[in-house]
Amino acid sequence: MKTTEAIKSEKQLNNDDEKSLRGTLVSVGFVAAVIVVMWVAVFWIYMERV
Amino acid sequence: MQHRLEEMWMIVSVGILVVFMIIIGYQTFAMGMGPPSHSETIDPQKVEETAPFDEPGVFETGENKYEVVMILQSFGFTPSNIEVPVGAEVEFVMTSKDVTHGFQVPGTNINAMVMPGHIQKISHTFDEPGNYLVICNEYCGIGHQAMSTTITVK
Repeated sequence: MKTTEAIKSEKQLNNDDEKSLRGTLVSVGFVAAVIVVMWVAVFWIYMERV
Repeated sequence: MQHRLEEMWMIVSVGILVVFMIIIGYQTFAMGMGPPSHSETIDPQKVEETAPFDEPGVFETGENKYEVVMILQSFGFTPSNIEVPVGAEVEFVMTSKDVTHGFQVPGTNINAMVMPGHIQKISHTFDEPGNYLVICNEYCGIGHQAMSTTITVK
């Protein structure tokens, strides 16, 4: 288990880097959500018609 | 150097792909829902002399099981106007005498490409009565848009 101080200092170390990639993570997550929703929709249509 | 957020989305992306592949693999190999195959071949110039295509038609093969032996050619299906009872499990065995045709019943999972030289098989259980439209969905020539028939389920 890490202490609260250790987590805090780790956060501070990574903070600048992570800020610059947060938008990218959200964008990638959005693309992933679109892909998953489309895949599930097509799968559902197929299984409905079996 | 790898970033923690990069690691996160790489793990999620690979995880999604793996889940998709496991589901599709299970469907194909364990549930027998693979796409229609065309592993059997036939001489496209001798279709009418080769069994079972020397006698196209609808045949009862078991209890509520039917086999439809069908030849596709520009621009029609032989036999046309197929009739089967409700709940029948129908296996279509098809080949083409000329060019590549399609065999699709909109609103169902029946959708197969029928190529000359290959025997295509696809099956479906018709649970709802009605008239089902059959269309060719591969452009096969000048009369392609007229290439259709019906399956009557009573």
